[in-house]
Amino acid sequence: MDNPLDAWFVREILVHEAALVQYLRRCWSQVDELSDLRQEVYVRVYEAAAKNLPQQPKSFLFATARHLMTDKLRRGRVVSIEPAGDFEALNVLVDEVSPEQRLGARQILKHLAAALDRLPERCRQIVWLRRVEELPQKVVAARLGISEKAVEKQIAKGMRLLAEHYHGHSATAKPVARGARRRGLGRVE
Amino acid sequence: MSADSRQIEQEAAAWLARRDAGDFSPEDTAALDAWLTQRTAHRVALLRLEAAWNESGRLKALGAGVPAGELPQRGRWSSAPFGWQPTTTPSDEAELPTSAPRLRRASLRPAPRRFGTFAAAALVLIAVASYWGWRRFEHVEPLAYRTSIGTLQEIALADGSAATLSSDSAIDVALSRNERHIDLRKGEAYFDVAKDAARPFAVQAGNRRIVAVGTRFSVRRDGDEVRVVVSEGTVRLESSPDGGRNQPVTLLPAGSSALANASGVLVRAGSAADAERALDWRRGHLVFLDTPLAVAVAEFNRYNTHPLVIGDAAAAQLRIGGSFRWSNAEVFAHLIEQALPVRAEREGDRIVLYSRQ
Repeated sequence: MDNPLDAWFVREILVHEAALVQYLRRCWSQVDELSDLRQEVYVRVYEAAAKNLPQQPKSFLFATARHLMTDKLRRGRVVSIEPAGDFEALNVLVDEVSPEQRLGARQILKHLAAALDRLPERCRQIVWLRRVEELPQKVVAARLGISEKAVEKQIAKGMRLLAEHYHGHSATAKPVARGARRRGLGRVE
Repeated sequence: MSADSRQIEQEAAAWLARRDAGDFSPEDTAALDAWLTQRTAHRVALLRLEAAWNESGRLKALGAGVPAGELPQRGRWSSAPFGWQPTTTPSDEAELPTSAPRLRRASLRPAPRRFGTFAAAALVLIAVASYWGWRRFEHVEPLAYRTSIGTLQEIALADGSAATLSSDSAIDVALSRNERHIDLRKGEAYFDVAKDAARPFAVQAGNRRIVAVGTRFSVRRDGDEVRVVVSEGTVRLESSPDGGRNQPVTLLPAGSSALANASGVLVRAGSAADAERALDWRRGHLVFLDTPLAVAVAEFNRYNTHPLVIGDAAAAQLRIGGSFRWSNAEVFAHLIEQALPVRAEREGDRIVLYSRQ
């Protein structure tokens, strides 16, 4: 993250991931396409920001998501959409408390601790040794008597799972989150 | 198609895990760069994983009190690592070098009688020489630096250290042979200290003294309150004797911050990233995390001549978070208006924030 655009992206866009995913989930019925959608939104936002940094990143993020879904609809690639095309009505999230009502350090640590606890046993143990005890991967491998490749694999897995939990919780969209759950939409966790 | 993002995420994780393993050669770096430039999707996937992984460094705080090599049960996290903790001063004190007083005692041992006259003469010589030495090396004329509101100053010190003076701040710098002495008279300063084990780097802030050998840290003074943020290395926080009694000494590791005031010293442990965030003013930003508006406004006013004013008690209690440029209070007031139930009114050269209920 050594370039300013990358740092901006992490700071201004990724913090809204939980809200974004909820928004997409409410608009899009194809649950298996959500992670592709999210990725495509991020790609569009990143590429647009490289040319011109949006002044209001959060609004821009949600507008991008809306445009992307409209485009997909128009191209007729997706048939079943629940509130057919009525994304404007779902704007609630966008005017939510904006300059990043971010979580305090203590809450972040709590989320991370919870995310750590959700890792499968082996993965949790390896992430603990690497991240808490700060042992190099080599040392972790030697300690557990497994190959360095195996440790690296578990670290990669830990990175993916931690990111899913961490970004999934770091944004603050609580009232909406509750609403989404009431609608019976499952969470991909 | 739907496997696309998952596939990319796995590749990104594999790259990061390999880099985390160490021995990442220049060829590897080049290959990773090539992969990143190939598609924006690659880059955003990597950024997303990397951001969470970097944050997971905070997990280190969970290790406090857990013996090395032991993995605690799931869900065992008490509130302990999440809160402010008073320092455990007695053990810190025990780690202090005690050689200085011992040396003094040794030199005061009475000299054998037959050397009396010689010793007396030598003493006079030593006294003269040391006075001259003291004039030469100890009593260095301090250099004074000060900044006005809204300006920062980077100062290259003669010993190779660097200091960044925050808005409306003042330091006196005296580099002598035995000590590099900084007197923080007002405000806040950040120090990137050049290593020199023979000459400790000490910052005096009121009755507190912060000592480092080679490290990076900042010291801030608000009246009697002193705040220290350590971004690298370890520093020692000392207090002047109170009523003739020595005060405990606190060791502050990287990532920690300490708040010292009349009621004592509070130390908060954190990661180096936390410390860096608290020092973002050097790059023109103020960072708040769940901060009461009154505190945030006071921060802004340290950097601006046109003050922001809290209009009522309800507004003071509102909490904000985010990263803001300190150079523009007007933009800040505007953002606050959008985000919080607050209305900003211009009154003369002040901007008053009222709650809007």
